[in-house]
Amino acid sequence: MSTSPITPTPAPATVGRRGFISAVAGGFTLSFVVPEFSRIAEAEGATLGQVNAWLNVATDGTITLTIGSSEMGQGSFSGLAQILAEDLMVDYARIKTVQGVPSVAPVAPVGNSINTVGSSVTRTNFWKMRDAAAIARETLVQAAMNSKGDQTRSNYTVAAGIVTHATTNTQLSYGSLAAAAALLTPPTVAALVPDSQFRLIGKTMPRQDIPAKVDGSAKYGLDVRVPGMVYAVIKHCPTFGGTMKTLPATPSGMLTVVPTKVWAGTGRGTEVADAVNAVAVVGPNTWDTWQAARRMSVSWNIPAAATNWNDAAFVATGKDLALAAPAYVAGGANAPGTLYTVEGDAASTNTALAGAAKIIDATYTLPYVAHACMEVLNCTVSYVAGTSCEIWAPTQGGKAVLQLAMAITGLTADKIIVHTMYLGGGLGRKWESDFVSQAIQVAMAVGKPVKLMWPREEDFTRDQYRPMAVIRGRAGLDNAGNFVGFSYRNVSPSLLGQRGSVLGPKGDSQGIEGANDLPYNFGPHVVEWVSHPSPIPVGFWRSVGASLNTFGVESLIDELAFAAGQDPYMFRRAKLTLPRWIAVLDAAADLAGWSTLPPAGHARGIAIGTAFNSIVAQVVEISNVTATGLKVNKVSIALDCYLSVNPGQVEAQLQGGIVHGLNAALWGQQTFVKGAAQAKNFNRSRMIRQGEMPQVSVKIMPNPTAADRSLSIGGVGELGVPTFAPALANAYYKLTGQRKRSLPLFPGATMSEL
Amino acid sequence: MTLQLNVNGINQTVTVSDGNMPLLWVLRDLLGLTGTKYGCGIEVCGACTVMVDGQPERSCDMDVTSAVGKKIVTIEGLSANQSHPAQKAWIANQVPQCGFCQSGVLMSVACAMKAGHRGSQIMSEVQNLCVCGTYQRMKEAVKAL
Repeated sequence: MSTSPITPTPAPATVGRRGFISAVAGGFTLSFVVPEFSRIAEAEGATLGQVNAWLNVATDGTITLTIGSSEMGQGSFSGLAQILAEDLMVDYARIKTVQGVPSVAPVAPVGNSINTVGSSVTRTNFWKMRDAAAIARETLVQAAMNSKGDQTRSNYTVAAGIVTHATTNTQLSYGSLAAAAALLTPPTVAALVPDSQFRLIGKTMPRQDIPAKVDGSAKYGLDVRVPGMVYAVIKHCPTFGGTMKTLPATPSGMLTVVPTKVWAGTGRGTEVADAVNAVAVVGPNTWDTWQAARRMSVSWNIPAAATNWNDAAFVATGKDLALAAPAYVAGGANAPGTLYTVEGDAASTNTALAGAAKIIDATYTLPYVAHACMEVLNCTVSYVAGTSCEIWAPTQGGKAVLQLAMAITGLTADKIIVHTMYLGGGLGRKWESDFVSQAIQVAMAVGKPVKLMWPREEDFTRDQYRPMAVIRGRAGLDNAGNFVGFSYRNVSPSLLGQRGSVLGPKGDSQGIEGANDLPYNFGPHVVEWVSHPSPIPVGFWRSVGASLNTFGVESLIDELAFAAGQDPYMFRRAKLTLPRWIAVLDAAADLAGWSTLPPAGHARGIAIGTAFNSIVAQVVEISNVTATGLKVNKVSIALDCYLSVNPGQVEAQLQGGIVHGLNAALWGQQTFVKGAAQAKNFNRSRMIRQGEMPQVSVKIMPNPTAADRSLSIGGVGELGVPTFAPALANAYYKLTGQRKRSLPLFPGATMSEL
Repeated sequence: MTLQLNVNGINQTVTVSDGNMPLLWVLRDLLGLTGTKYGCGIEVCGACTVMVDGQPERSCDMDVTSAVGKKIVTIEGLSANQSHPAQKAWIANQVPQCGFCQSGVLMSVACAMKAGHRGSQIMSEVQNLCVCGTYQRMKEAVKAL
């Protein structure tokens, strides 16, 4: 045991409860609502209307923005600060961002949480952040006008946080005005800075969280240390659906073993509420506890059905359902295996296809893929029975964590504090709260602060995976290479269904996104989605359904282009109906030098798609194909997100998204034998290392000269992913003449020690 | 057993019940140096890389007993005020995203520099895993080193 003292982890600053605007010693605070965005709002119940960001201008001039969303490397905090600084008319460096503490309060001013999902933070907060900043600025100017006794606004100018009264040439800093501003009623609207005068929006600015990420000082969930803390290591039943038979004895040197149950609302698929699917060994430090957990034998009840849970069976079922499935019936049971028509009409499409000169009928398969965040799942909880519960979690859903803690502890919201820590990757997995529920259960059982960790092997084998999918596409051309019909069917386990949603006539929006509302002139077409009955837990994985469907659609389009004997870029270009899509396609092709031949032995593939209101196209250039691998030489990507706040950060996210898509397309796959996941660590889940990084070129379509707030801003964080796999497979075909309809391209690849 | 370690130039006394406890967990749990990260525990990802007598070591699989008598440098001891050239380059090039792997990456870079590598040579020595995919910016950042 250590004799060294434990240093408490400093909690993120907590903002006190204040009215919409109020006089506080520290200056004036403006609380404002930013729209809450949830990919499963339909399941969790939207809670719009609560306050979830604060702006404080202190009397010493410090400007603090408290944000409810999470920072997991996507740079949203800095982006929001940049937007705020623009309309507040202060230097970007003056804005200090602080992680907020979530609340479930129905009205202002307690709450502070937005979900960090759906590439949403910047785009859904853009206008609200600007409005709030402008209102705050004008309130400060009003305080200046009162102080000078001159109510003519045009006699005042604002720059760099200083209000200048032109008539008297007096300069008043925001800090000196803050106390007076706190006593005023702010205007409900205020003029925004014209786009032509932007100093910050659309400019590359440094991220505020980076310095702490080069010296080890950034605190992730796994780094939390609380005085008196003990360590818990989770050990799940290795088979999905399994439950504990008998509680094992406490291993020597350990404090206890705590059975943890699937808390209602946190289990997916096989994991049903109240089943004890794991035990947590509690001990004095991570290593000793982990070793005790490893050595400890636990007997489990394994469900009989698990015998049939393997990849071959999942794919076979998917292929059957791709051919025939019973249609959705309003008010019916619509058990897994039901066909939902999302868009178009099957009968007229089939009729049209009967007259096609050429038909492509292709089936594409995609595997389950783990998230594999660099930081394993973990959560720290300090619980005092009946009194308080403090939680430190790397979470994408702070408010969901708070609600969960209320349900488990029975405490009211005011007795619970949730600290959202830095996330060592989130990728959708840390939107879930199974790991949080376990940590709370263990803390309640041991009566001491506890940090619960999932060893890497648990993280891989107990993920909520990107859904597997079997996609059948049938499309026809006439002799001139025009579409005559297009039929698309995706069979995949339901993300929303596994989260308790009752699916409507159009099925699972998350499963089919990326395949519907496409601006191709298909003629008669139908887009269908079938719920696959596999109970393996599935989850939101960076870019979600778009990562499945963009592969299906853009592989099929490519096959049609070659069937028509046309260049795959020009084929798409001729068939797209929206100018913005064509411009993005052109931009990617230009960036890649599509009009010039690639070097000998290289080939390029192209793909276009949409996710989260953005349009994205990629060209992937490859060479050196062997039976076990290939080289990705270059990737050229163009993005239209309507408006980009920080282009350097957009570029970084696209580069990262491409790597994520690349890892999955070449090697990403979790396999199952009798319901147990097989890849347990990075050595069995190949990813690229430095030397394999392709040269990525990025083109961001220019911002509008005057942004229209009625138009949607698009997401960025997940946009590098969806078009990579189809562009890669299309390049592979061009180079080898072999069509790759199954991902990953190189299953079973391994990674060796450094 | 009680052991003496030299970490970031400071002599530290730690007591462990298991001499096989990897250096990683001694640093993180016993000494509170949480900048060194756990990623895989099997020497594949490199998030736990520290400098031991000038060499890169994956601390997740290095018994603490074998670190006795050696000079251990962690990310916290790489420099004062982020002043190591690699740290400066990482900030200037805005390399980290989630940042979780970067302590290990920077320690690998620092070891490569200590071994005399410069510029793009450095990255051939640094094969740490970065799930965010910051490789292109790493490559840019080392050009100036």
